[in-house]
Amino acid sequence: MNVIEINQLTKYYGKHRGIENVTFSVEEGEIFGFIGPNGAGKSTTIRALLSLIHPTSGSATIFGKDCIKYGSELRRDIGYLPSEVFYYEHMKVLEVLKYSASFYDNVNYTRIQTLADVMDLDLNKRIDDLSYGNKKKVGIVQGLLHEPKLIILDEPTGGLDPLMQQKFFDLIRTENKKGATVLFSSHILSEVQKLCGRVAIIKDGTIVKIENIRDMQKHNYKKFTLEYSGVIDVHHFNLDGITNLTLDKNTLHFLFKGDINRIVERLQGQALLNMLVEEPSLEEIFMHYYQKED
Amino acid sequence: MNILKQELRMGRKSLIIWCLSLAGILVLFMLIYPSISSQLEDFQKVFKSFPIEFQRALGIADLQLNTILSYYQFPFTYILLAGAVQAMNMGVAVISSEIREKTGDFLFVKPVTRNRIISMKIMAVLVQILITNAFVFVAALITVSILSAEPYNVKLFVLITSSLLFIQIFFASLGLFVSAFLRRIRTVLPISMGVVFIFYIVFLLNETLKDDKLGLISPFGYFDLSELSKTMNYDSLYLLLWFVLVGLFIFLTFRLFARKDLPSI
Repeated sequence: MNVIEINQLTKYYGKHRGIENVTFSVEEGEIFGFIGPNGAGKSTTIRALLSLIHPTSGSATIFGKDCIKYGSELRRDIGYLPSEVFYYEHMKVLEVLKYSASFYDNVNYTRIQTLADVMDLDLNKRIDDLSYGNKKKVGIVQGLLHEPKLIILDEPTGGLDPLMQQKFFDLIRTENKKGATVLFSSHILSEVQKLCGRVAIIKDGTIVKIENIRDMQKHNYKKFTLEYSGVIDVHHFNLDGITNLTLDKNTLHFLFKGDINRIVERLQGQALLNMLVEEPSLEEIFMHYYQKED
Repeated sequence: MNILKQELRMGRKSLIIWCLSLAGILVLFMLIYPSISSQLEDFQKVFKSFPIEFQRALGIADLQLNTILSYYQFPFTYILLAGAVQAMNMGVAVISSEIREKTGDFLFVKPVTRNRIISMKIMAVLVQILITNAFVFVAALITVSILSAEPYNVKLFVLITSSLLFIQIFFASLGLFVSAFLRRIRTVLPISMGVVFIFYIVFLLNETLKDDKLGLISPFGYFDLSELSKTMNYDSLYLLLWFVLVGLFIFLTFRLFARKDLPSI
């Protein structure tokens, strides 16, 4: 069964494009990644799902019901964490969470405490005394306290330190194992790779591709930067799977897809000053999608 | 009910300050009455020597300063003005604050309809207006009763004092409509001060012009205190107009807000 079904969803802000003909669906029980650079339309899609904005055309259903028409009823089972969290400044964390809980039936108050303990959040602080990361933790607890069946995360990891990110991912996995479906939007490919089964890639308001992470891993790109002491023989790297090869004085950049050992073989006996192997940025990955289409 | 409770909690401090200031100003003004009541005849002579246009603009053309209630009208005009600003502030801010403070992404993803959120917020404004009026009414009643040496016209007192309620409800609903109409409101006070004073100036202007059509524009004219003391009742045409306009503003607030996109943060 599909928990979310988005069909030709289009949103224009006046003449300004938000999204165009976005179509994809999220199956029950999966963690679905939604990636794209800033301004691609991730938040617009999500905000339409939550009926915060009204689509220009197209439709979306959640649990089989139209997300605008049955919005309030559907939101009972949705937990949402926005990319930037804002709460009533003069309230204490616990007051905000209790206010949030008062909108749902049968919220177990020990759950607030449990979630806060996991995320290491002080419930007695005032919202305006919290750092960005701590506000984010309030958002996480607030989004999960009513045990939603659908969790929508819009770039959730900003402001969280790596340890907290890990705890947060564990929390999401636990909820997922308990049966919650997750829509996870991000512009960081590696965190989507860690968590998600399938991903939709959005750019300039349209869906570029929907893929299994496993398939994506097959085109597991690495970005190499090699700094030489002497002259570089570019032909030395005339290999299958190497793209975007650029030479800058005595530094060589390229992207490589394939068995990494083949690069290591080539490097033997070379006089290197420095070497960097990095995950390519999402933009660089996107470039490949476009190049493939050309 | 949780939204109503939350709104009242958040507005608590400002409500207390408004109540105390409104009642404070009124009582303070009234306390001057005993010391000048003996000289009121002289005041009236001075006023009568003013040009008639000037008298009308000041609202003293038909003034009889020989009773406490005719004096009471004076400070109460300013209470109406300040009360209008308070009410319009609440009307403009109650929904737009969710967008300005960016808490809309919290409230509007809760399992409640927009109409319900708006009804609860309007209810919160109404409750705060009622509290303000009750507070001012009691403070005024005590003050007038203590200061008045002889019995005064209770009906006129109630009519004058209740006009605050009508004025406040009018400006609150106007404020709600403005907040639904404008895309994004950065600051509330300039809007409400501006609108209230423009209406007040129109009212003052019409006091000299005495134009019937112009009189329809300003709600301050609907509850003209100097008229009240003559007719001893609210004008039924103005009351009807008040009712229609308040209804229209509230209706449009719901209507416009149902289709509004919440701007992303």
